[in-house]
Amino acid sequence: MLQLVLFNLFNGLIIGAFYVLTALGLSMILNLSNVINFAHGNFLALGGYLAYVLIPYIGFWPALVVSPLLTAVLGFVVERTMIRRIYGRDPIYSLLLTFGLAFMIQDGCRYIWGVNGLPLTTPASISQPLSQEFFFLTGYRLFVVGIVIVAVAALFAFLRYTRMGMRIRAGVLDLDTVSALGINVRLLRSLNFAFGIFLAGLAGVLAGGQIGLNPNMGDDLLLPSFVAIIVGGMGSLVGTLLGGLLIGVAAAITTIFYASASQAVIYVIMAVVLLARPRGLLGEEGLQ
Amino acid sequence: MNAIEIEGLHTYYGKSHILHGVSLTVEEGRLTTLLGRNGAGKTTTMRSVMGLTPAREGTVRIFGRETTRWPSFRIAALGVGYVPEGRRIFPNLSVEENLKVPLERPGPWSIPRVYELFPRLQERKLNRGRQLSGGEQEMLSIARALLLNPRVLILDEPSQGLAPLIVRDVFRIVAEMRNEGISVLLVEQNVRMSLEIADYAYVLDDGMIVHAGPAAELARDEERIQSLAGATAEEWHEKEPAA
Ligand SMILES: Nc1ncnc2c1ncn2[C@@H]1O[C@H](COP(=O)(O)OP(=O)(O)OP(=O)(O)O)[C@@H](O)[C@H]1O
Ligand SMILES: [Mg+2]
Repeated sequence: MLQLVLFNLFNGLIIGAFYVLTALGLSMILNLSNVINFAHGNFLALGGYLAYVLIPYIGFWPALVVSPLLTAVLGFVVERTMIRRIYGRDPIYSLLLTFGLAFMIQDGCRYIWGVNGLPLTTPASISQPLSQEFFFLTGYRLFVVGIVIVAVAALFAFLRYTRMGMRIRAGVLDLDTVSALGINVRLLRSLNFAFGIFLAGLAGVLAGGQIGLNPNMGDDLLLPSFVAIIVGGMGSLVGTLLGGLLIGVAAAITTIFYASASQAVIYVIMAVVLLARPRGLLGEEGLQ
Repeated sequence: MNAIEIEGLHTYYGKSHILHGVSLTVEEGRLTTLLGRNGAGKTTTMRSVMGLTPAREGTVRIFGRETTRWPSFRIAALGVGYVPEGRRIFPNLSVEENLKVPLERPGPWSIPRVYELFPRLQERKLNRGRQLSGGEQEMLSIARALLLNPRVLILDEPSQGLAPLIVRDVFRIVAEMRNEGISVLLVEQNVRMSLEIADYAYVLDDGMIVHAGPAAELARDEERIQSLAGATAEEWHEKEPAA
């Protein structure tokens, strides 16, 4: 039983880690651009596929960094050429645009790499189970958790300690004033968008190494990531972090008792949190 | 060269026509004040200069460049420091972080130097913006604009809602800036104190300039002050309790 509980807890942690990566990127983009990026999960898949292409040439470790970077560059270009045109307009435009992008990227992946799943080879050094008893503790899964911790810590340090991070945080509440202080807020938004896409690309590589690649691999992460943002409170990245972990672990624990409710529990948590705190766990912090 | 030159500005919010051909000039090295009662269009004029609510007609020239359709950040990067109405400090950032947001134009102003000017800000540097009093927020907003190392400083009602003692401080500092060689455009409802420190004055009413002349001249014209510049609003400010 202990083993089962630990197994599911750890599973929840892994799933939560993926929710967190995806939701943090979505949340950054939502906060500064006021755009819900429905193509986020497809950028995630793209990151995985880019790693698939790159690994034979440069190996896994460099690809772990280079594929998210390339995905981010693509995100930057998409923001500069398309997304920025709909800033300040009715939300319906961003919904249509990012939905359209989602289909384009998805079909593009399907066209290039096929509908069938592809494996992403990970180095043998991190693929072995660590012990017989705790078979689920493969090195790779620990590695995923480690990378996510490093990425999230780096993101928060960036936002907290660099001038650009401060400008992004200031811009979430008052972009006009940031602009009136001489900061190129168009570039700031593009770069912020690219950072969000970088996190999606990273999640894509990590997920690819665990469950393989397919053109729809990001879809299952998108909805829970929205829930994580709402549970955590819009405008607060710390809230998003907590929200992602909370629903990941809750879903996993529910699996032990009543497996078929493990997805539904996410929405139950959302409802309960919103009833108690309409702005989410840490919602007031950023928005006040 | 003039710091700011506005000619025939027409600005709208949606369909409402707010500015009806506003023209004014801020000469380099001088302190120019723009007076006018509530709703006269002072803030709208400033927003048009800063590119936040661009004018539909007319031109804005800053240090000789036509900036009418420029985005705010390019205008600010020319060396325009803006202290907006209501201060607009970033409530979720600490005092020190607020000071790190502006573009780092080269020049004499640095964070240690603004702490020298506003020791109170240094004491509170780790506090969030939202934890500051009105006077402290005003100081922070001015300090933030100074860190851009502006050649011209635009202040929109810096004395609004502040206790009389702090108002004196704010006006003293604004006058000091002019003596530092920064051109200043000061929007105020506090008519008498503005005219005391200003070189030149404009009066705006209903989106039109209704008076322009040396500040000293307007200061002597008691009747005009009463009728044009909303002296009632000023008295109301004076009586307001400490912020
Ligand atoms: N965002 C807006 N949308 C529509 N109308 C506006 C907006 N902002 C201001 N106005 C209107 O424009 C006119 C001028 O406003 P403005 O804020 O420029 O005046 P002001 O001289 O700065 O007044 P105050 O001394 O009260 O700050 C007012 O009639 C006001 O109601
Ligand atoms: Mg005003």
